[in-house]
Amino acid sequence: MLPTLNLTGDLVLAERISPRIGKVAPGDIVLVQSPVNPRKVVTKRVMGMEGDSVTYVVDPKNSDESDTIVVPKGHIWIEGDNIHDSNDSRKFGAFPYGLLQA
Amino acid sequence: MIRRNLKQWKNIAIEAPNQSFLVAKLLCFLHLTNKYLCTAALTYGPSMLPTLNLTGDLVLAERISPRIGKVAPGDIVLVQSPVNPRKVVTKRVMGMEGDSVTYVVDPKNSDESDTIVVPKGHIWIEGDNIHDSNDSRKFGAFPYGLLQA
Repeated sequence: MLPTLNLTGDLVLAERISPRIGKVAPGDIVLVQSPVNPRKVVTKRVMGMEGDSVTYVVDPKNSDESDTIVVPKGHIWIEGDNIHDSNDSRKFGAFPYGLLQA
Repeated sequence: MIRRNLKQWKNIAIEAPNQSFLVAKLLCFLHLTNKYLCTAALTYGPSMLPTLNLTGDLVLAERISPRIGKVAPGDIVLVQSPVNPRKVVTKRVMGMEGDSVTYVVDPKNSDESDTIVVPKGHIWIEGDNIHDSNDSRKFGAFPYGLLQA
């Protein structure tokens, strides 16, 4: 999440009310449970909500190719601010909304 | 007479905070039990016939096992729906991460079956009534984090 968050660690305060009442919008930084390791919580930015068309760069290190995808119902598309080094929806696909922690 | 009424109100005023704290403590205890120990759920729908009723079954679900990772194939679990995050569905676990799951793709139309390896951090769930169940055969493997109980 460089340059927004530090490499060596940042203490953040996250409010938990917005995901419950559905007030999550593109541009928000969220905590989500990792789909690969359920005990791990990662911090990423929301790029698209359900129904949105998201255009993303598939592999910034190797090419400039970009792809567009429609976010399925009940899911969100998240990306790290540092797309060169981020495991996010470009790798795992859209995340279910239920994995949002805060 | 006014003095007696005042005295009664004073007694109530002294008792009220104590009773309120007691009620608050009870609610906290109930909330913690419901969230972390065991919860009740009303299940309805045809997807878990004949195990669960069509018109509704009240189930008690314990919440400790998913947290300590003691979920195994054969368990009935409550999961958050990947399509509607406010909805909780009841299904049976058919495979954990790394397992090879063979499932019938479309029992109404054909006998064709497919095999898939459950990805890391996911589980494969199916309803007992595969003829009428929206489950992993439709949505794909569910992330383990969606398990509620």
